[in-house]
Amino acid sequence: MLDIRRISTSRWWHKKKSWTFLGIFLFLVFVRFSKGSIYKDFYYFISKPFWPGQFQKEVILKSIKQESLINSTLLKKDNIRLREILSLQESSNNDYISAAVISRKTGSWWRQIILNKGLKDGVEIGSAVIGPGGLLGRVKNTSLFTSSVTLLTSPESKLGVWVDRIQINGLLVGVGDNYPSLILYSKDADIKVGDFLSSSPASTLLPPNIPIGIVQSVDEPSKAKKTAKISLLAKPHVIDWVQILKVKNFNE
Amino acid sequence: MNKFFIKKLPIIFFIFVPIIFLWHPNWLGFLGVQPYWPLFWLLPWSIIYGSINGLIFGLFLGLILDSVTLDSNFTQIPGLMLCGILFGRIELHRDFLVGHFRYGLICSFGNFLCGTLYFLQILFKNFSYSNFLLFLPSFQNILAEVFLTGFFAPLICSQLLRMFKFSRRKLN
Repeated sequence: MLDIRRISTSRWWHKKKSWTFLGIFLFLVFVRFSKGSIYKDFYYFISKPFWPGQFQKEVILKSIKQESLINSTLLKKDNIRLREILSLQESSNNDYISAAVISRKTGSWWRQIILNKGLKDGVEIGSAVIGPGGLLGRVKNTSLFTSSVTLLTSPESKLGVWVDRIQINGLLVGVGDNYPSLILYSKDADIKVGDFLSSSPASTLLPPNIPIGIVQSVDEPSKAKKTAKISLLAKPHVIDWVQILKVKNFNE
Repeated sequence: MNKFFIKKLPIIFFIFVPIIFLWHPNWLGFLGVQPYWPLFWLLPWSIIYGSINGLIFGLFLGLILDSVTLDSNFTQIPGLMLCGILFGRIELHRDFLVGHFRYGLICSFGNFLCGTLYFLQILFKNFSYSNFLLFLPSFQNILAEVFLTGFFAPLICSQLLRMFKFSRRKLN
């Protein structure tokens, strides 16, 4: 008997389709690891005709009023403190980039905005993004033309904040709705509805005294910590124009 | 050229899924939540091409959507892959009208699955923080998304299914 060796053509590597799928898979893995920068740049070009115009006056003016009121109170206090502690350095920072919001996801799980300024405009990862009212979030990722900002409401966002009235630091954690939670690791902290939050003067990530929000409700204390719901001053679902503060070690 | 576009119709729609996901049209939202767009594409694709294809393209969609969202700790891949497999096991209903509304129920269920899996990841990651704070907004998110996805699915899925079938017929 002749034993004819049959060359199999049914192996997966003999099929063109398998290689196509493998190619697509590798490409998508590349897209994943480049944090979707190709997609975001593509989106930048096709969304260009629909970028926001300069309106929304009512909402913005109201937020600006609140912001300037809080800002001036903070600046007064800061000035007094500065006079007392002469070694403290200048805290104001005017080095910013203006950008338009070209994509916004402010509901559901994913709370982020994409801005029309990217690496080519000098945006760096970690920069603080502020809008009318105060802090919106921090730049998490940049592509050539765009930058993506994690909003304070995102479940990924955790930020050290300063409660000015009781002079205490707390942790602001996004929980996936419009009201992030403030966690104070002290059961006896005397936090009240209406207290306002700003970025911590001791922060190395953010410039000091950027208004963040107002305490909306205080929960029952549990296990040596106190939590409160915060109403943010800057409203990411309506803001079309923002400012990106350039990264700098703010405690230097 | 025209033939090429007809042939590649599902893939062209596939490319547009992340674009709509990023676009996030507010006027379509409910409680600030959007329908879960990838399921609208995945359902007709899996019904026509089967579970294995559903699984593979669930993975592909998950990879792309994970890369355009910033949450590097959480992933949409498991939910979409599971939906791809489940949707592939569904057969088309003879009655047009019943089939039409069935898409809504199936997509709602798929969305509930994806939302729950995503929520579990967030819960697991934020275990050290007060978890009860997460529950209420998360349930609201899931329910609003399930409602919206179920609401739009009959409209969008049946149209896409028709187009994908047409494209496949031209292919054969």
